[in-house]
Amino acid sequence: MNIEIKNLSKSFGEVSVLKNISMNIKNNKSTIILGKSGCGKSVLLKIIYQLINCDDGEVLYGKKKEIDIDTFGMLFQYGALFDSLTVAQNIAFIDHINGITSYKNKVLLSMKDVGLDSINYDKFPSEISGGMKKRVALARAIYKNPKVIFLDEPTTGLDPINSDMINELILRIIKKKKMTAITITHDIQSALKTGDEFFFINDGIVECHGNCNEMLKIKNLKLDEFLAGVKKLQKTR
Amino acid sequence: MDYIEKIGKIFFYLIFSIGKIIHFIFFFFKYSFKPKFYLKNNLKYFVDIFISSIPIIALTGFFSGMVLALQSYTGFSRFSAESAIPNIVVLTLTRELGPVLTALMISARVGSSIAAEIATMRVTEQIDALKTLNTNFYNYLVTPRVLSLTLALPIFVTLVDFIGVMGGYIVSVFRLGFNENIYLMNTLNFLSFTDYFSGIVKASIFGFIIAIVSCYNGLYSGKGSFGVGTATTNAVVTSSILILIFNYILTELFF
Repeated sequence: MNIEIKNLSKSFGEVSVLKNISMNIKNNKSTIILGKSGCGKSVLLKIIYQLINCDDGEVLYGKKKEIDIDTFGMLFQYGALFDSLTVAQNIAFIDHINGITSYKNKVLLSMKDVGLDSINYDKFPSEISGGMKKRVALARAIYKNPKVIFLDEPTTGLDPINSDMINELILRIIKKKKMTAITITHDIQSALKTGDEFFFINDGIVECHGNCNEMLKIKNLKLDEFLAGVKKLQKTR
Repeated sequence: MDYIEKIGKIFFYLIFSIGKIIHFIFFFFKYSFKPKFYLKNNLKYFVDIFISSIPIIALTGFFSGMVLALQSYTGFSRFSAESAIPNIVVLTLTRELGPVLTALMISARVGSSIAAEIATMRVTEQIDALKTLNTNFYNYLVTPRVLSLTLALPIFVTLVDFIGVMGGYIVSVFRLGFNENIYLMNTLNFLSFTDYFSGIVKASIFGFIIAIVSCYNGLYSGKGSFGVGTATTNAVVTSSILILIFNYILTELFF
């Protein structure tokens, strides 16, 4: 399903976060939305998912204006796992709350897909590590076999090894399940590894876009500044 | 000019807040009669708050009854009306102290936990996650809490009434030297169904207020730990004030 964003604007009070943004997210492609922290990436993602309303503009899902929530999945920045439920209940949330109890095999399969050991099946989110929480959240996002998956800063809060593992996992899952993926990140490595196309957002507008494998060759002052900042940070480490 | 501006801001904030809470109550009723109903979830929540609140409720009733008997004795013994103590204890408990004290304790015990839980869910994006999983916030979080508290409060108040009367009985019989049979007879003969019923109606309305105010404050909490803390405080303070105001209004109705 293509997702077309037309002239989208959003303000919070007097602060204009998104200014007349337009973009086209292609079917079965992995699209990366890049930008500095606070540039409006997460707001854009939540508007596309219809978690918040925009002030102006529209989003078209194929030809429809309304989202079919069952065909979409989302991995939240910090997992957003339900603390009072076990790992299995989190993953199979939609079955669990509807009183369906025969989800064990499906959950174990999802856990295997994201590289989680079955020993974690009955654990609570507070009993597992940050990397494992991300995997549980990813398993929950793909449990209902969505056609489109949203990934909000999938590597935030993870060490480089875990980040790389999560990137590999995402790449493998979106290719295997043939999903359209929309990833928000400021992690260049993650973008280069998992993305087909990218949109760079700066000060609420799309500064530039293109193929991820050409990202480092594109001449754009703001993008150069952003990439240089990231490289500088990596050198100081 | 500065003061007028501040008063204006407070006025508009109040109007805006009242509008928001009415909107919230409207949506609660709208989704309460609309599928999906998570019966297991509702029942689990009811059992949870019921079991966790029993000790605090029992203590509240017991000590209130004991203190009431002692204090009534101090006053009534001055004009030789000690025999009215059982009547005063049972009437005060069933009509006033039972519902009000229970509601205030539940507001502190359960209301604060509802507000903190929902506010934390808000801050950690769990509320957004519910929406992505095609689960309505009102059906999943608000309805179980509102129904549980509206139904549990009358049961709690019945318990407080009973334990409170027992507390008064123990003090009156073992400390003040009342005849046990006469005390119980006076208690039962004097109590009418309206006394008990008025307390139960109050309890139900207080339960509804606590749950709605707590869920509302949780849902509209600010960001971070400060937001969670403020939401919790606001939930307890607002529901306590509303309990006292509605107590007067309902007392006037049953007067």
